[in-house]
Amino acid sequence: MNFDQARFSREDVYEPLLSEKDSTTVEVDADGVLPDDLTRDELTLPGLSEPQLARHYTRLSQMNYSVELGPYPLGSCTMKYNPSFTEDVAADPNAGVHPDRSDRTIQGTLGLLHGLQEYLADIGGMDAVTLQPPAGAAGEFTGILIAKAYHEARDDDRSEIIIPASAHGTNFASAAMAGYDVVELPSDEEGRVDIEALEAAISEETAALMLTNPNTLGLFERDIVEISEMVHDAGGLLYYDGANFNALLGRARPGDMGFDIMHYNVHKTFATPHGGGGPGAGPVGVVDELAEYLPSPMVRETAHGYEQYEPESTIGKVHGFAGNWLVLVKAYAYIARLGDAGLADASAKAVLNANYLASQIDLEVPYGPFHHEFAATSGDRDAADVAKRMLDYGVHPPTTKWPELVSQAMLTEPTEVEDKASLDDLAHAFNAAYADSDEALETAPSKTSARRIDQVSAARNPRLSWQSLDDSE
Amino acid sequence: MFEIPDDRKYLESHEWTTTDGDTVRVGISDFAQDELGDVVFVELPAEGDEVAAGDEFGVVESIKAVSDLYAPVSGTVVAVNEELFDAPELVNDDPYGDGWMLELEPSDTDEFEALLSPEEYREQTE
Amino acid sequence: MTTGNGRRDGSPYAPHTDADEAAMLDAIGAESVEELFDIPDDVRFDDEFGIDPTGERELRQTLADLFARNEELTEFLGRGHHAHYVPALVDDLSRRSEFLTSYTQYQPEIAQGFLQALFEYQSMLVELTGLPVANCSMYDAATALAEAALLANRLRRGASGHRVLVPEHIQEGRLGVLENYLDGADMEIASYPMEDGAADVDALSDLVDDETVMVYAESPTVRGVVEERLADIGDIAHDNDALFCLGSDVVALSLLQEPASVGADVVVGEADALGVGTAYGMGLGIFATRDDYLRQVPGRLVGVSEDAADMRAFTLTLQTREQHIRKERATSNICTNQAWVALRTAMHMAWLGPDRLVGMAKDAVTDARDLADRLDDISGVKAPVHDRHHFREFVVYTDQPAPAITNDLAGRGFAVHALDDHHIQVCITEVNADAADELVAAFEEVA
Repeated sequence: MNFDQARFSREDVYEPLLSEKDSTTVEVDADGVLPDDLTRDELTLPGLSEPQLARHYTRLSQMNYSVELGPYPLGSCTMKYNPSFTEDVAADPNAGVHPDRSDRTIQGTLGLLHGLQEYLADIGGMDAVTLQPPAGAAGEFTGILIAKAYHEARDDDRSEIIIPASAHGTNFASAAMAGYDVVELPSDEEGRVDIEALEAAISEETAALMLTNPNTLGLFERDIVEISEMVHDAGGLLYYDGANFNALLGRARPGDMGFDIMHYNVHKTFATPHGGGGPGAGPVGVVDELAEYLPSPMVRETAHGYEQYEPESTIGKVHGFAGNWLVLVKAYAYIARLGDAGLADASAKAVLNANYLASQIDLEVPYGPFHHEFAATSGDRDAADVAKRMLDYGVHPPTTKWPELVSQAMLTEPTEVEDKASLDDLAHAFNAAYADSDEALETAPSKTSARRIDQVSAARNPRLSWQSLDDSE
Repeated sequence: MFEIPDDRKYLESHEWTTTDGDTVRVGISDFAQDELGDVVFVELPAEGDEVAAGDEFGVVESIKAVSDLYAPVSGTVVAVNEELFDAPELVNDDPYGDGWMLELEPSDTDEFEALLSPEEYREQTE
Repeated sequence: MTTGNGRRDGSPYAPHTDADEAAMLDAIGAESVEELFDIPDDVRFDDEFGIDPTGERELRQTLADLFARNEELTEFLGRGHHAHYVPALVDDLSRRSEFLTSYTQYQPEIAQGFLQALFEYQSMLVELTGLPVANCSMYDAATALAEAALLANRLRRGASGHRVLVPEHIQEGRLGVLENYLDGADMEIASYPMEDGAADVDALSDLVDDETVMVYAESPTVRGVVEERLADIGDIAHDNDALFCLGSDVVALSLLQEPASVGADVVVGEADALGVGTAYGMGLGIFATRDDYLRQVPGRLVGVSEDAADMRAFTLTLQTREQHIRKERATSNICTNQAWVALRTAMHMAWLGPDRLVGMAKDAVTDARDLADRLDDISGVKAPVHDRHHFREFVVYTDQPAPAITNDLAGRGFAVHALDDHHIQVCITEVNADAADELVAAFEEVA
């Protein structure tokens, strides 16, 4: 496959900034509206016509790669196809109500939220689910606050959260934000939780162990039942990071493995679009014993219809309102569309695709058996350079140099949506880039809109607005 | 091989120190700057601040990594290399010279004894 | 059996043919897909969820029927989630799959389009706030406020206390989120009283001390009141070495005093008034601050650089602040954010341009004033309760019980919010202004 990304350019810039197309200053004359001293003097913004804007944003869109253009195998990101119809469903004007509406007048909205709470509880093997956290990291934070509330209710003062070194950075940051000290856990030689190290790390200070399963190497934590017992025996809770849940859909449930709390990344597992970085949603599921601590409000079904209620010992709020509603609608629609068979097929094909792709690439994959993702190593080639070169072959490269357990890691997650031909293209991109000359790697990419971008200059001299460009000229 | 001059002492955390008797100069080693990659930002204490041996006194950042800086000895900060604020690349270009970070007036010269000799530091980095 | 799209026994979005699957298994050296799962038997799930797969057409109908159970009320609701008309251009262009189905821009060379759009969004916030650094999104106003308090606490780490002062009138969700975010930092929240709907500046002055790391004020407030003494509030904060955090929204910022001019150190708030519409509280948190605090900013920042062809190019920058590098010492745990909403807000703001944006903001003041005056003419009703300037919304006093009135109004097709037994809040923008006459008439009948 040959690839050239669209590139609009003039002189030394690509598509000019809105501010370079027009900059209009209006005097803010609020006579008769507000006293002068309560208003600003003037406002400067681009003042462009709709056709000009349509062209601007369409050009920008063409200088942007996406799942609908080609494979996007970022490990731990689950960049799967986002069904078109879910966008239409979320755009239903009847779905757009204000959060201050009374329960009686929004039975449709509450019905969907209740339905999604139930779906997610079943799929994760949990007893109750909140939909409020607006992202995965917000879900982690919510889950840790629930663990904290649980321990505090028992007058059990605990100060530590145990996290494997290979976990997502958000785990560490979320635990710290909740006020915990982080105890980092090394991996064993096979890339899984080191049971001896865990034994040593667990104490009466352990509030929770956060685990990703399959872990960030794609490996299932086979000792999960033993791990669960160890943590529980010490009075701690077990937290499941749902980033890799796509591997297990319909085949295994965190609740059955002994996890007490989990978050779901609906923008990964349940196919809601990533939108260039968000919005996502990070619902949190818990076992019965923890349900009273869930954020408020929750939705329940009564004889008179759906109603919102405050859990007895709620931790309160983690979002100003009810989280990212539109994202939740899309997740519900996706689950309902696929059903049992579709969900189980998603995990089957995700794992099949990762294993097939790994079998077709020339890079070594040091750890296995992996599931929906694998960490290949580019050995003595720089993984970031190989990734840049892969761009020239028309694919998005994997996550690079992470997890650190694998040197020059290329963490690859093709997801279930790629067919064999597409995986063959991906393998070709891997192999061709891996075999390319040092010079080809260091000067890549060349077929993308922009050539290799100087990260160092961006950080040494931060220019974060078009106003800062004027200043420097 | 990384340069490890014999005229100074080192910390396990890759800082170096030299002394002219009255003051101690501190920076990071050639090995450390290479590990970090292109340095984009250096945060240093203010003149007059007190630091204790082993305490964090600042931060050095590259694109992909952040490293705390540890004080080799206790003392008062008498000078900081303000050129690094505008030209952090000096840490990469000349880690033992123009890339120095701060000068301390030590409060306890005995603390030097605990530092690594060039030979000991060389063994650590090999 | 796989029969392509529409089959009942698999995911419609997994495109494998039987022949491909067999060839792939052969290449792997496995007999079956099941064999690839390394899951111990004792934790395997052998049951079913009982969710029947549904065809796209049927499912769209089912969901349309479900949403039709929402009563069609004309909403006069605000309190932190504001609806303005979203032009078709925003839906059309933001839904282009190149934007919608892309990831965070970790490979900037292939993601210039989104990066530039986010850079433009940041720049618009810089213009609105007068502050030089704006990040490219927080989840909503509540989490942005909480992040501002954590930033203040990091900056004032040497201070003796960890108290944040917030107004007595604050949206419950914002207060709730703030409480949860501050709990882990051992910080505390105290509120300062309001006088006739605006900050009681004298009382605030008495409350601020060297234990205070941040003073938070809003304009407009949750009750729609335009604060008249923001500069005084800023001075009080600064005299006590505390940060001044101002909460607002993107429309109000186009008209009201520029935050930098009243001494704001951080500006937070909602941007959902542009580009979102009514979405059950889904929002976009704005976050802008001073240059000095750049390294303490939470969330992502897009900056300018050059590429190998010496062309200007955009990239995420200063990422060492973030969780994927700094882990437990990151400025925030935020990763996934609201980038696509920020894209929509920027599109909407660009579509309006400065003239129409300021005009929309002026309407928010005059429409609220006019509606309040008309309601005030009704016997048993006083509006606005606070003798202040208002933006979009105001509080109404009713002799009759407010919950009953709210209920009766719902029966007549209108949604308003009962604050307590005798107070109702009413919010007006161009999306409900055409129904203002009918609302007044309905109020006359029920009040």
